[in-house]
Amino acid sequence: MFYDALIGPFAEFEFMRRALAGVVALAFGAGPVGVLLMLRRMSLMGDAMAHAILPGAALGFMVAGFNLFAMTLGGFIAGIVVAVLAGLVARTTQLREDASLAAFFIVSLALGVTLVSVRGTNVDLMHFLFGNVLALDNATLMLVAAITTISLLVFAVIWRPLVMECVDPAFLRTVSRAGGPVHMAFLALVVLNLVAGFQALGTLLSVGLMMLPAVAMRFWARDIAGMVGGAIAIAVASGLAGLLLSFHANLPAGPAIILVAGAFCLGSILLGRVGGYASRLIPRTHLEG
Amino acid sequence: MRNEARLGAVCRAMLLALACVLSLAPAAAAQEKIKVVATFSILADLVRNVGGDRVDVISLVGPNGDAHVYTPTPADARLVGAARLVVVNGLGFEGWISRLVTVSNSKAAVMVASRNVKARRDGGGHGHGHDDDPHAWQSVPNVMTYVANIRDALTAADPAGKAVYEANAAAYRDKLAALDAEIRAAVAQIPPERRRVITSHDSFGYFADTYGVAFVAPRGVSTEAQASARDVARIITQVKQQNIPAVFLENITDQRMMQRIAEETGARIGGGLISDALTDGAGVAPTYVDLMRHNVKQLAAALAK
Amino acid sequence: MSAVLEFRNLTLGYDRHPAVHHLNGKVDAGALLAVVGPNGAGKSTLFKGILGLIPPLSGGIDLAGLRQRDIAYLPQAADIDRSFPISLYDLVAMGLWRNAGLFGSISRADRTRIETALEAVGLTGFEQRAIGTLSPGQMQRVLFARLLLQDARMIVLDEPFNAVDAKTVSDLVALVQRWHGEKRTVIAALHDLDLVRNTFPDALLLAREPVAWGATQTVLTAENLLKARRMCEAFDEHADACRVDAA
Repeated sequence: MFYDALIGPFAEFEFMRRALAGVVALAFGAGPVGVLLMLRRMSLMGDAMAHAILPGAALGFMVAGFNLFAMTLGGFIAGIVVAVLAGLVARTTQLREDASLAAFFIVSLALGVTLVSVRGTNVDLMHFLFGNVLALDNATLMLVAAITTISLLVFAVIWRPLVMECVDPAFLRTVSRAGGPVHMAFLALVVLNLVAGFQALGTLLSVGLMMLPAVAMRFWARDIAGMVGGAIAIAVASGLAGLLLSFHANLPAGPAIILVAGAFCLGSILLGRVGGYASRLIPRTHLEG
Repeated sequence: MRNEARLGAVCRAMLLALACVLSLAPAAAAQEKIKVVATFSILADLVRNVGGDRVDVISLVGPNGDAHVYTPTPADARLVGAARLVVVNGLGFEGWISRLVTVSNSKAAVMVASRNVKARRDGGGHGHGHDDDPHAWQSVPNVMTYVANIRDALTAADPAGKAVYEANAAAYRDKLAALDAEIRAAVAQIPPERRRVITSHDSFGYFADTYGVAFVAPRGVSTEAQASARDVARIITQVKQQNIPAVFLENITDQRMMQRIAEETGARIGGGLISDALTDGAGVAPTYVDLMRHNVKQLAAALAK
Repeated sequence: MSAVLEFRNLTLGYDRHPAVHHLNGKVDAGALLAVVGPNGAGKSTLFKGILGLIPPLSGGIDLAGLRQRDIAYLPQAADIDRSFPISLYDLVAMGLWRNAGLFGSISRADRTRIETALEAVGLTGFEQRAIGTLSPGQMQRVLFARLLLQDARMIVLDEPFNAVDAKTVSDLVALVQRWHGEKRTVIAALHDLDLVRNTFPDALLLAREPVAWGATQTVLTAENLLKARRMCEAFDEHADACRVDAA
């Protein structure tokens, strides 16, 4: 019975295996990005950039239909442009970065929806917004895997300066000029991972797989490595459970995955060892020294 | 002697005048075509075939259009207002037509093309929200009934053209009979166990009943925007268990999902089937006969061994 | 002795208002120099100029062959994100960034150096502490340990002993003296004049304009200190363009 419920669906259906593979690949890329976004207090920026991708992908769609290359390239360019523009506006006018981003991403979202509706149908629009994790073809899976690989490689290289930039940016500035480029590389990785998640989970949900596991881990881990590992694990678990829910309880797949991630998040806020409500309400006796 | 000559001249003048009048009359009648409004392109094609030169047909929902979700415009109201005859499909196909007719204050006669057609019950899961399946034109014998109804309606609206309408209708009926035979022959070529397909739009029920090809509609995947894994699993199981050889895409549905299902089940992906509208002049189905031929060709190709 | 640092008619400031006005002078290699002066005297600004963090309004700074990475800098208020989930060990290890670089993992030799540095500041056993749990004194020790690891030829400290307990101060002063013994150049901005008199052989009394520069006992005279105190703290909103420059 255990087999039927948990393993059966994946053993029997290829589309389930593909969906899981896609989400697992996404988890490995999104995990570190999400943790860093959260620690750098850029969580909302991640959300904004996810929406900013939409008009670029929509333009790619208008030009070439559901062509993976066109949509990915369009989305990537749009994401980078918005990130750079928002930063520029924040630095050169009196508008702070959060307001500048809010303005940009709302406009991007509206623009993207308009573009898709002009050329595509309602179903197309829903896929742009919520993704199509059950219909991942080979090209999409390869794209996601490639992006995750690139992401992990780049992280391996820039990890230390990235962490330094979060903890003590002044120090980094005095010992190296890598701060600026590292920041840009990080932004590019954020956009890249969002573009990867876009095909599977759409613009409204892809950032969920990035942020929700990271937020959950805030309440369990005290060091950044633990956070990253835990975030990846939670993302994978959310994918697994979400797909099973979609299978057994007939829920739409993408939202189901994100809801499970949300449940992990909520559970962590309540029960997490590091600052969760339960740990505060139910104190344990202090140690000897 | 002079009186006879004058009488002769007057008689000739009168004959000439009569001849002129007589020759003008049909010309006058020919200039005034009967304005007919059909709700969608398939009906318009049928009306044109029966009415010939005597009618001027306009279709409210144009080629490639979707009559289910059509919202009439003020221009449509004007057209309906000016028409002598309005031809609708009936069976709940055009939920918007009765209001349009009322609003346009039209004096036109409204005729239901599917009168006397034996309606089939809608299989459910289609999304129309009513009980009868409206897509009766998918079966050629039904269209013969449509043609008879149209001929009668045109005759009622324009009695002077009765002979023309009867002649056109008879000629078109022959064409339809030949088409029907063609379809049956094509289906006969397909091995019986392979006569079933999956397609997303549940509009081929009449075709299935008449010609013996089963159209299995996947539930929840097509018109619904967000599929659940269970829906997809169900279709795949169904295709595998019932050995359904082909899967047909359609514009309305999610092509990538269809492709996934086809790849996982080994089913063939067929070319698009056309259900609810003619294509424009450049497309594969500018007339009803072309539409049916196209669909049969696609089915035969996908289901052949 | 060769000069490691030279100020040439240096003016540094913000928005055209000078915070350091026409400073001239040389710092010899291996010097142990205290920079003192009232609040707003331009000490922090001077250090930022040395580090190249702000450009001069006029004049220049010569770093004799020193690159930015050869200078270790301790700013006055460390803008460190205390809530970041990083351990004390990793924060200190940042000092080795020059050696390990972007790719490098920490070698065994590096680990030994880190442990030695922690020992030197009295923080052995604190390796896994989260930095958010440290007292101000402990935080300063951590930052000094990082400075130790940077192994720099010049060390610039901006008010390193503010709000730090006496024991920590004496321990860290010992470190400063050790650096001096290792022939490193140390420049420190300080408020505690007794400490300066006891520990620093050279001093620069800055009150936007240099008041005195040289051996500590000649600089820290009552007369000089009085002159410095009379310096006006606020920028002059109605100042004209500086005439000294035009000359």
